[in-house]
Amino acid sequence: MNPQFIMDGLIAGAIIGLGAVGVTLTYSILRFSNFAHGELLSWGAYLALAVAGALGFLSAGLTKPIAPFSFGWALPISAVIAIGLTGLLALAVDALLFSSFRRRGSAIIIMVMASFGASLALRSLLEFLFTSKPAYFTKALQIAMKLGGGLRATPDQLLMLGVALVAVVTVHLLMTRTDIGRAMRAVSENPALASIAGIDVRRVIRTVWFLGAALACVAGIMSGLLIQIRPYLGHDLLLPLFAAAILGGIGSVPGAMLAGLIIGLCEALAVQAVGAEWRAAVSFVILIAVLLVRPRGLFGKAS
Amino acid sequence: MTAPILSTHGLVAGYEPDLPIVRGIDFSVSSGELVVLLGPNGAGKSTFVKAIAGLVPIHAGTMMLNGRDITHVSPHRKVAEGLAFVPQTENVFATMTILENLQIAVAHLPKAKRGAAIEALFSRFPDLAARPSRLAGALSGGQRQMLAVARALALDPPVIILDEPSAGLSPKIVSEVFDMLKAINAGGVTVLLVEQNVKAALAIASRAVILAEGRIAHEGLPEELASDPLVGKIYLGTAHGHQGAPA
Amino acid sequence: MTLDILAYAAFFLSMALTYAIICLGLNVQWGMTGLFNVGIAAFVAVGAYTSALLTTPPSPDRFGGFELPIFVGWLGAAVTSGLLSWAVGALTIRLRSDYLAIATFGIAVTVQLCMLNLQPLTGGPFGIGFIPRPFADLQDNALAFSLANFAVMAIVVLALYLALEHLAKSPWGRVLRAIREDEMAAQALGKRPIRFRLQAFTLGGAIMGLAGAAQAHFIGFIAPDNYMPILTFQVWAMLIVGGSGNNRGAIAGAILVWGLWALSAAAVSTFVPAEQQARAASLQIVAIGVGLCLMLLWRPRGLFGEVSPLTRLKSLRAAPSKE
Repeated sequence: MNPQFIMDGLIAGAIIGLGAVGVTLTYSILRFSNFAHGELLSWGAYLALAVAGALGFLSAGLTKPIAPFSFGWALPISAVIAIGLTGLLALAVDALLFSSFRRRGSAIIIMVMASFGASLALRSLLEFLFTSKPAYFTKALQIAMKLGGGLRATPDQLLMLGVALVAVVTVHLLMTRTDIGRAMRAVSENPALASIAGIDVRRVIRTVWFLGAALACVAGIMSGLLIQIRPYLGHDLLLPLFAAAILGGIGSVPGAMLAGLIIGLCEALAVQAVGAEWRAAVSFVILIAVLLVRPRGLFGKAS
Repeated sequence: MTAPILSTHGLVAGYEPDLPIVRGIDFSVSSGELVVLLGPNGAGKSTFVKAIAGLVPIHAGTMMLNGRDITHVSPHRKVAEGLAFVPQTENVFATMTILENLQIAVAHLPKAKRGAAIEALFSRFPDLAARPSRLAGALSGGQRQMLAVARALALDPPVIILDEPSAGLSPKIVSEVFDMLKAINAGGVTVLLVEQNVKAALAIASRAVILAEGRIAHEGLPEELASDPLVGKIYLGTAHGHQGAPA
Repeated sequence: MTLDILAYAAFFLSMALTYAIICLGLNVQWGMTGLFNVGIAAFVAVGAYTSALLTTPPSPDRFGGFELPIFVGWLGAAVTSGLLSWAVGALTIRLRSDYLAIATFGIAVTVQLCMLNLQPLTGGPFGIGFIPRPFADLQDNALAFSLANFAVMAIVVLALYLALEHLAKSPWGRVLRAIREDEMAAQALGKRPIRFRLQAFTLGGAIMGLAGAAQAHFIGFIAPDNYMPILTFQVWAMLIVGGSGNNRGAIAGAILVWGLWALSAAAVSTFVPAEQQARAASLQIVAIGVGLCLMLLWRPRGLFGEVSPLTRLKSLRAAPSKE
């Protein structure tokens, strides 16, 4: 068996893991599975594309590739801007939609349904704005480097793995070492108690939306850079994201990342062993297995 | 009598607007008092204090803290204004450590003062200081109650409200908890206490208020209530003539 | 000319009624029981493919056709989709309420993959053709053919409607309602909510399978494209517009939303230049998504929604009693 599947799996897994960290955070604090989370990945990628395009238009120098990578300074700059914009998008959707359900104390499932409607609208809006034709951050081709052990990777891929690692470690430290991180965990365990312990629950909710959206944006840009940008980019990742969040245990940041890598590796293995057409079924199989054997996931609290 | 530190006027509250549980309560606590709220099950005691803390929607009436209207202030702002609340159950963050529970409690203080505040709590509750990295969920009932009270006292609140702090504790621990409350009150903190444990509560209270069906039914000094057989029989279930079947 | 219009109207209504059947199935799951199914397309597809395999003539390049009578196909469709629903429900109903939603979403993805890739069973991307149509011998007379098919659909919908109304008033339906309104109380009365929920989910899935079969035989061919996630969205829009918990609303919502959909699609193809049609179609979907959210925000019980017993109780209490 070709060991290259490990590299492919790690890359897919890093993207899934980053997205799943966002899902697990929003799920544990907002208490519903957000079917529109995938669209935050797609919007993140397209927003970065649009900003990068505008930057390239202003100054052609920004698109000149930074060796050894395939993209110019326009991409990292636009990524930062896109992260902010995706966060604002999530806050706007919350303000327009989910906040009123929270105020009314609507059933969880109503919010799930609203997220389902929002995902549909957001995705089709992307299709309307950018059409369903795939887009790319860069046209430059990269040669994969030999890493030893039969593994190959392009500089872009290695960089993205590094970015994912840094992002997850940062979020983990944020959750365990800072006031806002403790506040998020407190709200996730018991919002009423959190509020009488002096925590501004609404602020925590806004932070979580922003953080989840920011991670989604990073994952979307990664996926866009390493594969391609399509309006269905996030929707097609939604099942792996949910599977990873549940496998990792809802609320667990390291769990979501680890589960993302597991799912990515399983997908890559399945592609080699069974065929690429069955890739999407892998996360379903894993999801079913988790629900059967250990519904609270690897690191989840018993409910 | 000094000016009330905490008061409610015509307070109506409940989870459903059409079915209020608290149905018009005029109530006040003066600085330094230890007031105990008694009453039969379903009288609305718990809902009343939760409404004060901001956990139950208020449909009519007002409430004041230290001369300021706090009726529609959100719960976390009330904490900052000096109103501490200890719920009956789930009153600590079980998935977090003792230290983290307290770190959350002192988060309103400037960073430089937090360490000292936590140290002060640890010296006050030495049981908690022994292993600050223990998960709160692993603590015994009594220790949890200590942690919950410690959390509530972290900001030196002028008023602390406790919802049945003795529920589910062994008699020995109960008396420890009541001793602690007495000490807290002696330290100048105004205490409002909801209790089922009538005897122990009346023993430490400076005043008692009896709720029934969402309204104040009776008010008085603990000694008066304790010796009033009618009140005891109707509202407290503490039949003084032990032989008679309760009404 | 008028005959053509009449034939078209019958065709249009028959199509709308197949959606009404799906909608009735969803109403058993969501309206009566509060179970959220995001994989409607999968259950409809499984029904359609089952019936197609059972009733088509034998084909050398795939498994089956067994040339069985159409009603056997319909029955098989309901049973297979019911079994699939039962399996998904048994796995997830005891867990958090949205795990069922996630699992049904997974089913939809997986069934889509199976339709595309299990070529020997499903015919792959090209699907299955030559599905026998009811009243095929009337096919030369468009009007008679359309009307006959319409009559069949109308009878199926009416029968289902009456059966479901009866069921809602039966002890079983009352327990379901009780569980939905107050799970704890129902549990205290010794009813096991999980079992009732699972039964309702299975029944709803079986009805969706039946709808899939009815649709397949009405159109005469099926392909994976017919069962994209958009189908799920459309049916949800129908139920939400019609009002969950209300069978008449479910049927009315299906006809209304299908009408709006067909109308706007026709408008798009008439007024929008060909190269922009894909974009216009995506705006159409944006409208469904936004509409779904707005309905949830403003009229969560739909245009014809039922009044929940709890609300009824409250309004009784609020009004001065006249006894």
